[in-house]
Amino acid sequence: MADTSLLQGLPASALRSAAPLLLVLLGECLTQRVGRINLGVEGQMLVGAVAGYGVTALSGEPWLGMAAGAAAAALLSAVYALLTVAARADQFASGLAVWMLGLGASAYAGSGLVGLRIEGFAVGAAGLTPTLWLAVALVPLVALWLYGTRTGLAWRAVGESPGAARAAGITPWRVIVAGIAAGGLLSGLGGAALSIDHTRSWAEGMTAGRGLTAVGLVIVARWNPWLTLPAALLFGLAEALSLRLQAGGSAVPAHLLHTLPYIASLAVFAVTCARLEGGGGPAALRAVFAR
Amino acid sequence: MNLHRQLALLAFAASTAAASVAQAATLGYIYVGPEKDYGYNTSMDIGRQYVEKSIAGTKTLHVENIAETAEVEKVMERMIKQGGASIIFATSYGYLDYAIALGKKYPKVAFLHAGGLKTGDNVGTYWANSDDAMYLAGMAAGAASKSGKLGFIAAFPIPQVVRSINAFTLGAQAMNPAATTTVVWTGGWLQPPKEAEATNSLADAGIDVIGEQVDSPMTIAQTAEKRGIYMVGKDVDVSKLAPKAVLTGASWNWGPTMLKLTKEIQAGTWKPSHVRGDLKDGSVVLDPFGPAVPEGVRKTVLAKKDDILKDKFVVWSGPIAAQDGKPVLPAGTKMPMEQLESMNFFVKGVVGTVQ
Repeated sequence: MADTSLLQGLPASALRSAAPLLLVLLGECLTQRVGRINLGVEGQMLVGAVAGYGVTALSGEPWLGMAAGAAAAALLSAVYALLTVAARADQFASGLAVWMLGLGASAYAGSGLVGLRIEGFAVGAAGLTPTLWLAVALVPLVALWLYGTRTGLAWRAVGESPGAARAAGITPWRVIVAGIAAGGLLSGLGGAALSIDHTRSWAEGMTAGRGLTAVGLVIVARWNPWLTLPAALLFGLAEALSLRLQAGGSAVPAHLLHTLPYIASLAVFAVTCARLEGGGGPAALRAVFAR
Repeated sequence: MNLHRQLALLAFAASTAAASVAQAATLGYIYVGPEKDYGYNTSMDIGRQYVEKSIAGTKTLHVENIAETAEVEKVMERMIKQGGASIIFATSYGYLDYAIALGKKYPKVAFLHAGGLKTGDNVGTYWANSDDAMYLAGMAAGAASKSGKLGFIAAFPIPQVVRSINAFTLGAQAMNPAATTTVVWTGGWLQPPKEAEATNSLADAGIDVIGEQVDSPMTIAQTAEKRGIYMVGKDVDVSKLAPKAVLTGASWNWGPTMLKLTKEIQAGTWKPSHVRGDLKDGSVVLDPFGPAVPEGVRKTVLAKKDDILKDKFVVWSGPIAAQDGKPVLPAGTKMPMEQLESMNFFVKGVVGTVQ
């Protein structure tokens, strides 16, 4: 009986683990689509988590917290934009700087929040909450926007070749800044979903590498917003499995189970890169690596 | 000597004596994680505040988030040279070798390390054994569980954690001989999302009481409250965050031990040793019972606590059998210290791997 209820709860558990990651993944996907690789999403996610948690604790309104988290992370992403667009600094160094900034700022701001109680979102049917639906709903919205609208086309064009886009009358730097900001907003939503909804708590560095995982998973999702959902679910499922198998009394060593999400992502990554020439990313992004 | 000179000498001696008495020590505290983590590091910080309040004029320096690398040596040195610290509390296990190395460099400074098994000429260790309190908490858990299935969420299978799980299970089995404990490892001391999901998984598996040993009980407590199951806390009292879910807990009370050591060091009577506290000397406390613990159970648990305090009952006494049923400790014997400090097996009734 325990086994069936463990299996029954697995999809919801996978979704719960995947939802914050999915939001960050969508954001980084958009940022990379305009030709920028932002390693600072980890810091942005943390800033979103602390801001969201704090505002929810103060106001009692979880949606207000989500909005605050998105805004705070977008603000941090502006630092990355300033560095890479205005100052033309190296993308990796700028991303790392933003990551460190976010880590420190969130820890400082959050020290008074540890141990506060919040109500968060009401749990709906099957243990699912509004942030899950938000994340899942955003996938088709972002995908349809990227592939079906003129602005989406402009973004993709800038990601392929800023020069050609400029020739077509698009101002590349505006698009790039917008792409970075979109990434900021979404990573903030992801962080806020983590602290307000998933754990209902704040702890320093609580994202535990999820932001960085998103940067890698964008490749697994082949820079396609549609594929971010299966990519995030893959990771969430592996994480949920590693915990559920233990809860069910499995004899597999826990250390091995903990590597499951990363091995799964690496396997898909390897297959993806083997099949596509150079991994198949936007050309301007590839140029960042081919120095 | 004329009276004038005698009085002057007396005044001089008195002022020197007064100065040395009034000159309270500066203490340095180093934490491996955030000091407001609502868990292990917070418990050490509460101890620091206790000492600061207890000795007038004491100044304490405290630094958080220092990893267990060579960085901690630099931090300790800064506290000694620039902060003037004469006593250093290195509150994380991995600081031991650095404390001993620095102890040789600064022989006048006293180093107190949490949980280590080595000392130096000026390096001592302090720790507390929480197994008794975990046993009592396990009793409350075993009585509260309707399904007889308990759970335990923990970070790493180190002996301290394995002992907690075993003590918890033995206590539960004292109230329900058929009780089982399913163990879920999160792989890290502070992993709130994994802790939340682990709690959900255990709840889905029909487990209705959870114990834990991670850096902070707050995420597990709040998730348990959300799911309507019970939990037993550790390190700090977390009942404020989960008033319905928390049955009791095993909390640290480092203050008195830290104060005693500080006083000994200042008085010059301190000799480096392994100071080990427990339930008996108040270094570990059994938290107040939550609303879900009925009066009858409270009486039984407190009676057992009394037996422990009076040495009439020892948690690690036989018969104890391992997971596979093989006897580990025959009836009537007590587990020797070496076996206790290196415990790497689960008792019968624990479901899970110890790797």
